[in-house]
Amino acid sequence: MDLDWWYIGELVVNGANAGLMYSLVALGIVLIYKASGVANLAQGALVMTGGYVVLALAYDAGLPMWLVIPLSMVILFFFGMGIERIALRRMAGQPLIMIIMLTLGLEILLRGIVPAVWDRGGESPIIPLTLPADSIFIGDMLINTSYLLGGVIAIFLVILFVYFFRTRIGVVSRAVSDDPVAAWSVGISVERSIALSWGLAAVVSAIAGALWGSIQGVDWTLSLLLLKAVAVAILGGLDSIIGAILAGFMLGIAENLAAGFLDDIVGGGTKELVVASVILLTILIRPHGMFGREDIERI
Amino acid sequence: MKKSLAVLASILIIFSGTAVSDEKPPIKYGLTLDYTKSYVFATPSVSQAIEDYRNYLNARGGINGHKLEILNSDHGNEPQRGIEAYERKKREGAIVFEHFSTPVSKAVLPKAMKDKNVLLQTLTGRSDAADGEAFPYAFPIAPTYWAMAANIIQYIENNTKDIKKTKIAFTYLDFPFGQEPIPVLQELQKQLGFELKLFPIALPGTDQSGVWSGIRRFKPDYVVAWSISSLHNIALTEMTRNRIPIEKYISVVWASRLDLKSFGHERAKGVKRVEAVATGTEIPIIQEILKMYDEGKGAGPRENVGTVYYMGGIAEMSILVEGAKLALNQFGEPLTGEKLKKGLELIRDFDANGVMAPVTITSSDHQGGGKTRIAEWDGEKWAPITDWEAAHTELVWKTIKEHSAKFIKENQ
Repeated sequence: MDLDWWYIGELVVNGANAGLMYSLVALGIVLIYKASGVANLAQGALVMTGGYVVLALAYDAGLPMWLVIPLSMVILFFFGMGIERIALRRMAGQPLIMIIMLTLGLEILLRGIVPAVWDRGGESPIIPLTLPADSIFIGDMLINTSYLLGGVIAIFLVILFVYFFRTRIGVVSRAVSDDPVAAWSVGISVERSIALSWGLAAVVSAIAGALWGSIQGVDWTLSLLLLKAVAVAILGGLDSIIGAILAGFMLGIAENLAAGFLDDIVGGGTKELVVASVILLTILIRPHGMFGREDIERI
Repeated sequence: MKKSLAVLASILIIFSGTAVSDEKPPIKYGLTLDYTKSYVFATPSVSQAIEDYRNYLNARGGINGHKLEILNSDHGNEPQRGIEAYERKKREGAIVFEHFSTPVSKAVLPKAMKDKNVLLQTLTGRSDAADGEAFPYAFPIAPTYWAMAANIIQYIENNTKDIKKTKIAFTYLDFPFGQEPIPVLQELQKQLGFELKLFPIALPGTDQSGVWSGIRRFKPDYVVAWSISSLHNIALTEMTRNRIPIEKYISVVWASRLDLKSFGHERAKGVKRVEAVATGTEIPIIQEILKMYDEGKGAGPRENVGTVYYMGGIAEMSILVEGAKLALNQFGEPLTGEKLKKGLELIRDFDANGVMAPVTITSSDHQGGGKTRIAEWDGEKWAPITDWEAAHTELVWKTIKEHSAKFIKENQ
């Protein structure tokens, strides 16, 4: 069989960029985990909410996109902080599993409420991020410019967050994550630090919502990105920002290659199999992921 | 004085009682739809159309003096809830039902057949229910997906120089709705010799980028798409990205004006779809309904009136009312499920004055002939580019019979 290298190249490049966009969604999980040790299962719905806010500002309010993006980031920041203040803070001292269940409840609640609030009568508008071209062709290889933009923004944000965790506030967040009681005893505001992580995760969601909404339109299905984000976060290591970016990169390429070559044969759906396999194999073989911190507890 | 008032009141009660007893009982229609899950892209418009038609009909005296009463509820596309709703509405006196959901219609079908109640299942439910001999109380009253696929291939055949050199990409949502036409397409591929390649889209269908890379490499002459709602928008965006002319796109019936809005009505010029009903606001019944909207008596947003989903509801109501009239005229009062079934089977060449292709329903053919036409988006509206026709009917009926035979065998 002759291999079509242009096709393989296309699958790899677009898969890598799409994977980096998964990383963007996964960043929300990693940020909150790093700050509070909680796996945020509401991240898919936060991305969906981000998409709807961008849409409302762009379509309903008619604001220009250069204003819509920063404005939606500000709105989502306070939305994320609000979630922590209203829901999460009450759970202080409760078993971790119940806090995780709370985030799952939030995911389900937002999936139901947000599309109902911004009901568009069955329409799923695509967010108009004006790009110079829909695609770039190199030989017979198509590069999806929306994915490319998403990939570049994801890398930029990762660099930003790596530096953030080296700033004073970032170090405080890490201290809270390491030992909240010790952090509290030396005068660190644990609540504020966790609230900040929720705010930042929501800001990332606004960006992810806008980017994914520019590709697949805005409706409740944006929240399904949760599964990909969970796979990326697990593979990369729940507390590793660098891990999230590399895992997204790998997952995107793997699922695109699988779909490109196997979907025709098995009748579709191989991307989901890749995602499921990544989650299962990582947990079975290396539970802390590629770059996650391995905590060994003495008993 | 008190005595005379009491006498007057008694007389009034007697006369009003007579008036009530003279009024014919309503015909009850159990309409349980999916308002909250999978079919929400269409159900608001379908329900709006049915309510508008009911109001229009009842304002004109109903069906031979019987008002039409709609017993409406949500089943959320869940078979168990659909069955519960069916039983509840049956107890309330409904003799005809519509669930507008394939899983719910399939679940309710055996009960409706046993109870001898008419189950309408326009463009949903079992396609082999077109076989009236196997499913006497199920009425798809619209072309099956097999018929639509066959008719699309006929259009391609009519518009290509050499069908043997024609490449057709079939892209479909990878679940039963999308998979259904495949056997007919593959059989036609054998018969006619065109090249066919299948491109499944994994649910929920929003990630289509890889699929369109494959389609671009296949270099198709036509792309036949079994997709729904906003997924067309994503498909057309990906086609543009891949520099595949959108004129090659022929959609299943589920593509509406609204679905093209995000892509851009002007940009979408040339996109085609197969139609089972006419659309637009020029149709006589729609003109009448719009007068109700002018008076503020519409059942929903005015912009929904005349869309493909709305017209699906109007077509179904037109056929139901025609069948009920024929049943009452032929078999007399009271109208039962059994009589309604026979009335529907008396419908001949009925197009409801331009609402749909002429429909003929018999005791063996419950799809009504299977005629469709191809329409093209001209930037403002869907303009028909073919007449109503049914092609490859032998193959379509062979497929229907094969499937219905399986049902009979499994339920013996």
